[in-house]
Amino acid sequence: MLFLRLLFFVLVLYLSACTDILDDINPSDSDRRGDFDATTIGYHPGETAADFASFDTLNQAFTMSVELAGSDAIVLYFTMWCPVCDSHMTHMRKSTIPYYPGVKFYFVDYVSGIVDVARASQLNNGYGTSNVLVDDVNHTVTNLYNATMGTTVVVDSNTIVQMNEDYKDGRKLQEVLEALP
Amino acid sequence: MSSLTPTCDKSQALIALLMGGTFFFSTSAWAASCCGGGGGATLVLPKFFSSMHDISIGYEQYHGFWNKDGEHLDDPPGSDLNQFRVTPGYALRINPNWQASFILPYVWNDNKYAGLSSNTNGLGDATLGFWYENFDDIKCVYAVNSLEDLTPAAYFGASLTIPTGVSPYDDVGNSFDITGRGFYRLDANMLMDKTIFPWGLALSLSYGIYLERDVNQEYGNFIEPYKRQLGNRFSGSLAFSYSVTLEKLDTLTYTLTYANLKEDEASINGATDTTSGFETQSVSFALAYSTMAKDWIVRMSFNHLPTNDGLGSNFPATDTITVGVSYVIP
Repeated sequence: MLFLRLLFFVLVLYLSACTDILDDINPSDSDRRGDFDATTIGYHPGETAADFASFDTLNQAFTMSVELAGSDAIVLYFTMWCPVCDSHMTHMRKSTIPYYPGVKFYFVDYVSGIVDVARASQLNNGYGTSNVLVDDVNHTVTNLYNATMGTTVVVDSNTIVQMNEDYKDGRKLQEVLEALP
Repeated sequence: MSSLTPTCDKSQALIALLMGGTFFFSTSAWAASCCGGGGGATLVLPKFFSSMHDISIGYEQYHGFWNKDGEHLDDPPGSDLNQFRVTPGYALRINPNWQASFILPYVWNDNKYAGLSSNTNGLGDATLGFWYENFDDIKCVYAVNSLEDLTPAAYFGASLTIPTGVSPYDDVGNSFDITGRGFYRLDANMLMDKTIFPWGLALSLSYGIYLERDVNQEYGNFIEPYKRQLGNRFSGSLAFSYSVTLEKLDTLTYTLTYANLKEDEASINGATDTTSGFETQSVSFALAYSTMAKDWIVRMSFNHLPTNDGLGSNFPATDTITVGVSYVIP
């Protein structure tokens, strides 16, 4: 019984010191999104999107504000070429991209750091015809949008962030694209 | 009664212990680079013993993944994705036929890509398990003389996975911090083993249901709240074993196991998430050594997910080496 008591004590100590875990132990349904508007530059929906420059896997320069001109919106999906990413990207390519010709879709490789490596992953995973951007080794774009695996960002033609969250089943992305100004 | 001799008794105990650790396909295979994990096994206390302390150390290396169509794809060039786990556990006999156990893994994720390195650690998901032993004496026999000698040792149980790990729905910075899936899961479990010394055969089956939960943040970003439920999970395994009695009546048991794991697609606000769900298969080889008194059991296993196309879906391919020690108290 001494072992059990010790284990329980360590567990309580750990849980009490780590509120992160309590989010899963006792999940919340409260909406805690803040109020954000276009007067600030940031990554939250409602804020003005931060412009950035990058390269794609064909070594062509990319600047968000340039690409946004004449488009309905830009969609960025952050990939690390994992099973979840592939599942999302396949779904997006099949169920969303063909239906929004005025929107530019980009997969952002945020783990390779090198154009050649990102290109190899792109081809190995069967995305040779997709637009893939390469984030630099300082993770500039990833940090700008507080992104990680599966993060999907929609920036509309007014450079307002309309969405910044996990892709999940793709429904949210389609809702946001349908409601573009 | 030959079936109660120490050697036969030990052989049955070892197989049950090994199966307890293997048939609940370690969910850690969802871990490291992308998806959390670090839990999912349970302990099986040998018959007639009152409690058991157990610790295992696991090293899992990633070798690409299967996409939804079952095609195996490589990880990005220059990547090296690994997970280490230390899993202490404790099992306690409640009465002659009931036992309970608890395990709580600690997980280290060590991921290197060409343009990114990450080294994080944290608790994995804990598992609380209960077993009912549907037998009153050792079912291991040396020879089959009657139908009764073919009666297997049967365990029926339930386990609860507790989301003590760090999940995408916690206040975390990115996917590399993930060590758990973030959901409670209830499993109904069955384990049957028959040992006709020195040969053994064991079958284990498990069916799990995740509890639906609210989600109001992902990777530390608050989002519009929604309800998510992971898909039901089935796992099964079949193991063959062979035991050798050593000079001082210590026992060495070799076990070869085939296992299958399938998780249905998840749902979001009641609608099916077609990007989720997975399936995989594994083969493992285990070696267990037990002292004559059965108080110490040392085991080592190698688990391999063959990387051929069609042998998995939406799941990472891994190899795992595990070393474990159990101290069993009469």
